[in-house]
Amino acid sequence: MYSDLLHALPEVFALTNFIAVIIGVLAGIVVGAMPGLSATMAISVLVPFTFGLEPLVALGLMAGIYNGAMYGGAIPAVLLRIPGTPAAVATTFDGYPMAQKGQGGFALQVAVVSSSIGGIASAFALMLLAPPLSKVTLLFGPAEVFWVAVFGLASIIFLLGGNPVKGLISACFGVFVSVIGSDPIYGNDRFTFGQLELLDGINIVILLVGLYALPPVIDLLETPLKTDSVEGEKLGTEPIWKALPKMKGYWKTWLRGSFIGIWIGILPGAGGSMAAFMSYNEARRSSKKPDDWGKGEPEGVAAAETANNADTASALIPALTLGIPGTAVAAVMLGGLLVHGLQPGPMLFRDNPDVVFGFMWQFLFGAILLVLLGGSLATNSFARLLNLPRPLLGSIIIVLMLIGVYSIHGRMFDVYMMLGFGAVGWVMDKLKFPLPPVVLGLILGAFAEENLRLALRIGRGDWAVLFKNTTSLVLVALTVAVVVGPMIKRRFIDSRKKEGEA
Amino acid sequence: MHKLFQKTALVGAFVLAAGAAVAEYPEKPIEVIVGYSAGGGTDVMARTAAPFIEKYLGDGASLVVKNMPGASGQIGVTEVANADPDGYTLGTFNLPGMMARTIDRKADYDRESFTYLANVVNDPNVIVTAKSSGLDTMDKLIEAAKADPGAITVGMSSLGGDDHFMLIKLEGLTESEFTIVPFKGSAPARTALMGGHVAMGILNISEVASFQEELNVLGVATTERSDFAPELPTLQEQGFDVVNGSMRGFVAPAGLPEDVVAKLDAAFAQLASDPDFLQAMKDTANPVEVVRGEEFKALTSDLYDLANQVWQETPWN
Repeated sequence: MYSDLLHALPEVFALTNFIAVIIGVLAGIVVGAMPGLSATMAISVLVPFTFGLEPLVALGLMAGIYNGAMYGGAIPAVLLRIPGTPAAVATTFDGYPMAQKGQGGFALQVAVVSSSIGGIASAFALMLLAPPLSKVTLLFGPAEVFWVAVFGLASIIFLLGGNPVKGLISACFGVFVSVIGSDPIYGNDRFTFGQLELLDGINIVILLVGLYALPPVIDLLETPLKTDSVEGEKLGTEPIWKALPKMKGYWKTWLRGSFIGIWIGILPGAGGSMAAFMSYNEARRSSKKPDDWGKGEPEGVAAAETANNADTASALIPALTLGIPGTAVAAVMLGGLLVHGLQPGPMLFRDNPDVVFGFMWQFLFGAILLVLLGGSLATNSFARLLNLPRPLLGSIIIVLMLIGVYSIHGRMFDVYMMLGFGAVGWVMDKLKFPLPPVVLGLILGAFAEENLRLALRIGRGDWAVLFKNTTSLVLVALTVAVVVGPMIKRRFIDSRKKEGEA
Repeated sequence: MHKLFQKTALVGAFVLAAGAAVAEYPEKPIEVIVGYSAGGGTDVMARTAAPFIEKYLGDGASLVVKNMPGASGQIGVTEVANADPDGYTLGTFNLPGMMARTIDRKADYDRESFTYLANVVNDPNVIVTAKSSGLDTMDKLIEAAKADPGAITVGMSSLGGDDHFMLIKLEGLTESEFTIVPFKGSAPARTALMGGHVAMGILNISEVASFQEELNVLGVATTERSDFAPELPTLQEQGFDVVNGSMRGFVAPAGLPEDVVAKLDAAFAQLASDPDFLQAMKDTANPVEVVRGEEFKALTSDLYDLANQVWQETPWN
């Protein structure tokens, strides 16, 4: 197998194939940076065109876009507090405060380096460990996947700090949105009010754009005369080789983020946003000064961005070996592979080694190119956007949002729905309800429901099926630890304080 | 002045329309509406077939595939049913799904809404079991299902689809009872089988062909062995008379002009025996079985009756 890997390398360096990766990365950064346009969408637009392209050109474009977009999403997340893609939500936590402190440039550099490292780690996992890791995926049946979702929800609500009650309410709203549409087992309509458009449920991008992009834009337009504190010259961009030494302390975060990203990637369904949240949580928990987090701690950006790129290539492991995509983007990519006669399954690696291993190399090079292309070029040009007058910037973003949401299915219905979510988001923002649990609630709620119901059918209605094997029990234990752990810790600290006072 | 302009425009439109009737079909691009996203099985069929249909329609004909995903293909197929029957809007059509949707929910189309052009793909059902289940023959499987009704869990891609109807047929034939576990799509169902989370699965031959070492493939629901995987035995060979599958083809709105129907029918007839097309379909996991015109319509009717009968006896929602 490893000789196949080397054998595929020369093709990857063929001029057109390599240029495809470069164009892909650039396009991905741009798409990711625009609120409303996501990697999933860019690749779905691309798939029909790939019918006429050579396989490695088409796949190179896709690999590039995927890597580029996962970093691109960080740009508006840092500069405007608008995550460009669902996976960049966690990047806003510390990225935006950094930009407000005049460290926007450094935040973007941390993001691009971390993204690249996550991507490289993930590509290596895909190249070297795909067959054994796909065995891990097989351990996760409906019952186990249900617990993964519960664990994800619990950690977001209880670890993300702040007010757990408000977090829980936000998460419930997200879960409620996930219920809209036809039910996952019988296909009965739920809360669709006879609208065919609602049958498939609500696309995550519509919710994200409305909830996250509209309120900051309203803020931009509300105070048109206020000059932005983040100005071009204060962005703090310095050459990346000067910024690199400042990041050498992040290696633990990078390592942890890569591991979490790869792990989440091989589990079907959860995807980049959950990886970024979990990596952020873990990094904060192990930090010596957790109170600085959320106020502009560069390591927070590093944690989120490493993980959301580390799930890119690893999400392809179950996709290529089993045909089940780990993320929405991987699902679209599977279509792109099928177009070229590459059918997922154990035979894929034997039948088409040159293309498959070439594709893996392209992931690796896409991740490496990210530093070069995203580092100087993209970061500088996008950062300049902030020098635009605020009303103009706000209007441009609104136009992008409308185009992005409309182009998902090509219908106005989605645009109206996005505006509705925007109103909800604005109110939540003013009342200080956290938004991340809504996004995770939507993603994981649907996931939890479907798998719980499948598991119960398998167990013929007996709830014991949820606790039947070790994998499930380990996940249950983790969930309990996440919920109870912080409470015990707080008690412990409180009682210590009391002792000190006494 | 304004009125004059209107009249001129009206006359002009008539002249153009008359011209269109006289001119050879097709004289402008033909839109093919696919009710699923780009890269799915149905989309790949449409895009693989498109250049061949263009070739056989001749005269620089051009087909443009347009994806209108949503509601299990219902949005796209409704669009086709309501389009002008001028031959410039065609659509993909899935069986038994498209007929089942007219039964299990409100649909703005029915059997009579279409001109049936050709069914192109017939992907037969297969019965598979998990390696860990130990049920490596049909007899063992049925015996186990009868010993404890409902004990055998069956992974499949959805309720109200070909997999579901296949199981109903099998249950009727063998007087046995299974527990259905409807995953979202066949790949998760297949993965659950490989992990041993369900005991048995009903999938399609294209979905198991490259997984034969990981699963026990017990039988194929065809009358003859499939060209797609000739090493796999049929169920009939083993004494189980069940034939079922998932079909994908092309339709147009009802009331298509006869000359247009004739041209399209001729194109599909040539398509059916084009070796390049057959190879391209095989590469993209699409077992081909072309059924044209009236026969396709009859096939649709049969499947509607089957779906309706299943619905009357065991409604799935």
